[in-house]
Formats: sequence, C-alpha cells, structure tokens
Amino acid sequence: MSELAIRHGAAPALAVERLSYSYPRAPAPALLDVSLAVAPGEFVLLAGRSASGKSTLLRAACGLVPHFYGGEVDGQVEVAGFDAIAAGPGELAAAVGYVAQDPETQVVSTTVAAEIELPLEMRGDGPGARARAVEEVALALAIPHLLGRAVDTLSGGELQRVALAAALVTRPRLVLLDEPTSQLDPVAGDELVWLLRRLNEEWGVAVVLAEHRLERCLAAADRVVAVEGGRIGFDGAPREFLGWTRETDPTLTTPAARLFSMADVEPLPVGVRDARRTLGEGRAATAVPHPGKGSSGEISPPSRFPTRRRSRNVGALVAAGLWVELDSGAGPRDVLRGVDLTVAPGERVALMGRNGAGKSTFLRTAAGLTDPVSGRVSAERMALLTQNPSDFLVRERVGDELPGDAGLAALRAVGMEHALDADPRDLSGGERQRLALAIALAGRLDGDGVPGLVALDEPTRGMDRGRKDDLMVLVDRLAAQGAAIVIATHDVEFAAEFAARVILLGDGVVIADGPSAEILSGGWYFATEVARVLDVPGVVTPEQGAALLLDQPPDLGRQIWRPRSGGPGGGG
Amino acid sequence: MRSPFAYIPRRGPLQSARPGAAVAYLGALVVVAFLYSSPLVLSAAGIAACLAGWLAGARSAVRAALRMGLGLALLIIVVNALVVHRGETVLARLGTLPILGQVDITLEAIVAGVSIGLRAAVTMVAFGVYSACVDPDRVLRALRPIAARSALTATLVSRLVPVAAADAGRLRDASRLRGPGAAAVGRGALARRLLAGSLDRAVDVAATLELRGYSLGGPRGQRRREPSRYDARFYAVAAVVLAAAVLGKVAGADDFRPYPTIHIGIGPATSAVCAVVLASGLAPWRGAGRRVVRRPTVARAEGLGRV
Repeated sequence: MSELAIRHGAAPALAVERLSYSYPRAPAPALLDVSLAVAPGEFVLLAGRSASGKSTLLRAACGLVPHFYGGEVDGQVEVAGFDAIAAGPGELAAAVGYVAQDPETQVVSTTVAAEIELPLEMRGDGPGARARAVEEVALALAIPHLLGRAVDTLSGGELQRVALAAALVTRPRLVLLDEPTSQLDPVAGDELVWLLRRLNEEWGVAVVLAEHRLERCLAAADRVVAVEGGRIGFDGAPREFLGWTRETDPTLTTPAARLFSMADVEPLPVGVRDARRTLGEGRAATAVPHPGKGSSGEISPPSRFPTRRRSRNVGALVAAGLWVELDSGAGPRDVLRGVDLTVAPGERVALMGRNGAGKSTFLRTAAGLTDPVSGRVSAERMALLTQNPSDFLVRERVGDELPGDAGLAALRAVGMEHALDADPRDLSGGERQRLALAIALAGRLDGDGVPGLVALDEPTRGMDRGRKDDLMVLVDRLAAQGAAIVIATHDVEFAAEFAARVILLGDGVVIADGPSAEILSGGWYFATEVARVLDVPGVVTPEQGAALLLDQPPDLGRQIWRPRSGGPGGGG
Repeated sequence: MRSPFAYIPRRGPLQSARPGAAVAYLGALVVVAFLYSSPLVLSAAGIAACLAGWLAGARSAVRAALRMGLGLALLIIVVNALVVHRGETVLARLGTLPILGQVDITLEAIVAGVSIGLRAAVTMVAFGVYSACVDPDRVLRALRPIAARSALTATLVSRLVPVAAADAGRLRDASRLRGPGAAAVGRGALARRLLAGSLDRAVDVAATLELRGYSLGGPRGQRRREPSRYDARFYAVAAVVLAAAVLGKVAGADDFRPYPTIHIGIGPATSAVCAVVLASGLAPWRGAGRRVVRRPTVARAEGLGRV
C-alpha cells in the first residue's frame, strides 16, 4: 500500500482483529477477542480500570507483544499496512511512536538531545535533518532548555516529556501513549493533551491514549474505547461513554459528569466548555430540589474535611527559612528558597506545584535525605513513602520485612496484618504501596499506634479511581487518629477530595497556602474540573457543586453563583 | 544525587577517545590484573587505574570504586585466611570451627588473599573509570554494527551500569527511610534486589531501544565517525602494556609464591613491568597539548555531536 494511501485514510492506522493474548505463565489472558480499528487522524481514548488490558493492547499495537514479552497470541494486528505480529517493534518504529508509563525506562541515551535524536539516527537521517527535527519537537513540547541536560538529572515530568519528544520526532502515523500525564503537573498535562490534539489535527497523526484521568482528555477525543477484563466493553463517542459509565462503571466517569449526574442535569458534559455551555444556556437542565435543603438561604458548600487551624507553635512538621541546593551536573541551583511552613497534627495537606517546583525535595529534606544549606526543618516521627514503593520491598515474605511487635503495629496501621505470610511480589499494586508505607512507619508509631507525620510522594500515579478511594480511606484513618498527612501530588481531583489545606510551591517558594476549597477553585490549572465548570470560590468537588446546583438551578443564569460576601466556603 | 559512576561529559583525552580505544586501554590494565599474581604488579595496575581516573577527572568514581573494591578485597582476604590451611607462618590458632574444621590463620593465606583481592579491586576501579569516562551513547552506537539484532545485549553493555546506579540510589534512599522497627536491609539483600531490579529495568530499556528502531539497520549516521586525536595514544599504550605484560610473564616477572612461605621477587623483569604499568596510568594526562583551532561550521554540521 502506498504511503499516500495510508496517509489519506485508505488504510486504518491500527486494525486489531480478534486478538487474544496471554503473558507467559499468566493464569488468565490479558486480552480476549479484541477487535478495534483506528482511522488515520483519529484520536482514541482508552479507558479502563488498572490491569484491565489497556497497556497490553498498546504493547500489541507497537509490536512489543508478543515480540518482547513472549506469551501466546491469536488474531491479527495491522499497523499502517504492517503486520505487527510478524514485523515486531523494530520494523514498526518508522510508523509508530510509543510512550510507556514509566519514563525512567524510556531513556537510553545520556543527554536529552541525544535521546531525542536517536530514532532519527537509527533511521539514517543526516545531521541537518536531525538537528531541525530535534529543535522543532523540543519547541513543540516546550523543552528546548532541557536539550543540553543529562537525563539522569531530570524530574519524572521532564523525563516524560523527553520520552514523548523521542516518540514524536520521527513524525509517526500512529502515536500510542500509556498514561503519559501520570507524572505531569496539571499545566504540562493539559498542554500535552492539546499538543496531541494539534498533531492529530494538523499532521493527521492517529492518537491512542490510555489514561485514568479522563477529565484531562475526554474533550479532545473523537472516540472512547473502554477495556474491561481484557475485552472491549464500550466503543463509541465520548458523550455516549459517559452515559455508559453511569450505567456500568461509575468509577470511570469524570468529575463534571458526576456533578451533572448528581444534580440531575442533562446532557452529561464531555469537558469544561461543554458543561459551561449547558449550564450557561440552561438547556435541558432539570434541577431537582435537594432533599432536606431549602431553595433559599446562603449557599455553603459542604466541606468534607473542615479546616482546623491549629496553633502554629505545635507542628508535626515545621520548616523555617529552608534553603536547599541541588547540583544537577551544571553547578548547584536553589531548589527551595526560604520555605516557611508548619503542618499541625491531624492536618491533611496537599503539596502541589509544577514539575521541578521543589515538592519532592521538600519532603526529602524533611525526611533527612537531603541537607539544607540554611534554615531548618523538623518532623515528628516522619514516615516518607517515595514515588516507587517497590524500592522498600527487599524480602520475600511480608513478616520478614516487618518483624516483631513494631512491625505488626505498622501492618495494623495500614490494614495489612492479614498478609504476614504473603510474598510482596504477589500483592496488588495498592497492597504493595500500603506495605511500603508500613515499612516506613515501623517503629515510628506512638503508644497508641499513631504516626507523627505521614508523607507520600505522588502516591496516585497510575491509579484508577478505585485504588485512589482505597488510599483515601487509609489516609482518612491515619489522620483521624491524629497523624499529619502531607501528600505531594499533581492530581487536583484527589487533592480536593483528601486535603483540607493546599500548599502551592512555585520555583522553590510557597506561592499559595490555604484551604483546599479556596486554592483549588481560584485558578485555572491548579483547579478541579468542577471548579473550572462552576467558577465559584470554594466549590471544588462534584458533591459541593451538585449541592449548589440543586439549590440554585442553572437556568437562572450564572451570575447567581458569583461569590457573596467572600464566597461560600471561602474559608473552607 | 548523581551516582559517582554516572558518565559526565568532559573534554579530557579519555572521554574524547573512541569507546574502543578507551576500552582497550582500561582493558589492558584488567588483563594485567588477571595475568599476574604478584602483589607488586597488581598494586602497580591498581595505582595506574586510579591515576587514570584521577587525571580523567573521575575522582568520585575512583573513590567509590576503591571503597567497593577494597571492601571486596578485605572480604576475600578474610575468607581466604579462614578456608585455606596452607602456609607455615601461623599467626593464630582458632581451634575447630563448624564447617571449616581446624582453622589456623597463616600469614601466607592472608598474603594470597591480598593478591586475589587486589585483582578484584583493580578490576572494579578500571570498570568505575570506564563507567564515568566512556560515553554510553557512543558505546551504544559502536555496538550497533556488531549487535544490531540484539537490543538487549546492547542495553546490558551500555546501560546496565547507569540503570543500576540510578536504582542503587533509589534503593539506598528507601533503605534510609525504613522505620526503626522494620528489618534492617543488609548489603546482601540490597544487592540481590538491585541485581534483579536492574536486570528487569534493563529489559524495559531494551524494549525502548527496539522501539527507537535500533534493529532497523538503516544507513549509518555521520556521527558514528568521531575520531579523536587521542585514539592512537590509548591504543598504543594498551599495546605496550599488553606486550610488556606478556613478555614479562614469559621472563618470570610474575615472581610470586605464597606457599609454603611467601616469596615475592623484585627482579629486573618485575620492576620493568611495574614501571610500564605505572607509567600507563599517565595516558589520560592532557598536558599542555597542542592548540587545535576548531572550525565552528564543523561542530554545527555535527549538530549535537561531541568534541
């Protein structure tokens, strides 16, 4: 088939026909009788819970399955005219760009420029063409400042963008992305999705994007494919998908769709603009009075965790004038610049900010892994769980990791006391995370089994909503016992649910510190989808938004939601 | 924090040389270490490897490799002293121990252990200097014509050390973050975890390399041809060291016998080999050098190439 024919839609960018696949020694198939076609220039969103088969489907589309992972395969996969099962990833490299979940395993070169240039060099492009392509893709992804950096000095988010640049630099016809925004801050995540949309529209690149945070990309997608237990559960338009989630799997829906469902507003919105238009026009809005609530009176959105402003003298975590320098190979640079903050016992704090803002460095310094150049930080019985919980697991039995009474107490604190004899490798991702937390907590609990400070660095990376809910239950329990909880996260929806307070870091300084309802409704990027839809200070979660909508139907006009006397719930 | 073994681009001769030349040079020192048992020659090789790394600017790599290498050497010395019952100079009689039986610590067994330990230490220092001074990207490109169909082989050769170094840093952090009530992480457990994890991740990196088109076999890029004026120096030094080592071996320079009593010969052959090996450590010395005017247009055309 000719290049022109493929580019102009004569052949699908991806055609999967009755594909079944099992990993070696796996008890059950990862994919079962999957059929799917993606047209050139189509933007397809792959939705599904963790371990539903999304990643396996992407690996099959780029030839890694079965060529790299082995196993048994049945069916056909055709990519831009190539038989992917016969050809393998090397031959498909010219047609397919693939970005996997873990950016650290996606770099093979020493410097960023060499990494992006590598696919072109492998293809045999000349130096001039390579330099131009590298420059253009770096500009498109806003990373020209990283080109000279060594890859081992980059943050996770920066690495993710570099991996994406290396996948896009050859201008493939099909781009496969496996949770590419999981390590990106909200700004970079939104930018990435819109960049993909632009590539899709202007270059005709077909995009298949697997993602858990659907609110980020649903509006950009032409079509949604939901994978359930290795099968295609749904294949249709984004709006129909939202209807399907309501009937079949509510954990897959978006916050705005949840808001509309709870407020009984139709049609369900595929994005912020769609939702605002529906509410603004009052079209088809049918508000039902909220039981137990009158239609008059001040709106005071419920706060899940009322802010308790405690005395700043008693802190589970106290930082004063904290300066930290790190050397990324180009000389030392200030990562934290005079940070002052206090976290009280029992407080739930989300630490947010752009990639490289200093969130992880702050936690590492508080835990004693990094020394400050000036200032001080003290944390009471602090347990820090880093981004890779598996790093904590070095033995083959849970009980061997956590011996004695202190170990058992730590396992109890995370609800894992039943798994004493289990092999950590047999645990689910969520259980491994809890076990790692128990290892960090062991011996740091007080007489009542309560830790002083629990800090988690990007704990929701790659998690579906079900696992996030489990994590929320755990931190709720610890906080209710009196532990201070600090979570560094890019996940604004999770932060809105769990945190009473949000600290926003920017370039090493605290740029905002206040109640989560206030911080997460006062901006554009660091704001929840509900906050962006309703634009009401203090309203950040679907529950809060629904309460508001049910009290004041949207067909009365948006002006009624403007803040009154400081805005409802402004103080959290 | 970066691993001390992470490659850092510098303009030194060892970094500028082609991977083949650098490997030949450092490999010659390792060959000497495996060819000889004489502690004198082994010490000379060790000093040469340290000197090479020091002159190449890889001081932290040398320090870290020395720490690891001497630690390993110490372990070898202890084990050898406990399990080898030969030698006439008994320093201590430990009586009968389980498994080991009658244990007499002899000076000869200790010195024999020193010889084996030095061999291990020289190898580790040479490997540390290689890791810190030889660009893995260039190694990868150099391997492509040889192992075009095996991304995994290429990854294991060129990326295993950086991947393992990054993993080691993370695992070290995680072990420091363990609560005081958790089981302590011994070096053995950490090493097992590191090896297993690094191999797993190397496989993932190899998958990425495949996806980048490593096995495409496209025309070779112009960047592959990156001669350095230091190549000849390192090839020559490697040839001289190997020749001296082989000739010295034939001439009896490896005049060392630990049992039944220690004999370390310091004849002319041994001295000559030591001198040649020691002098080879100066190869990465930049010196005043000859000023070379580089044409910027060439560097521009090379795009992202290195000096």
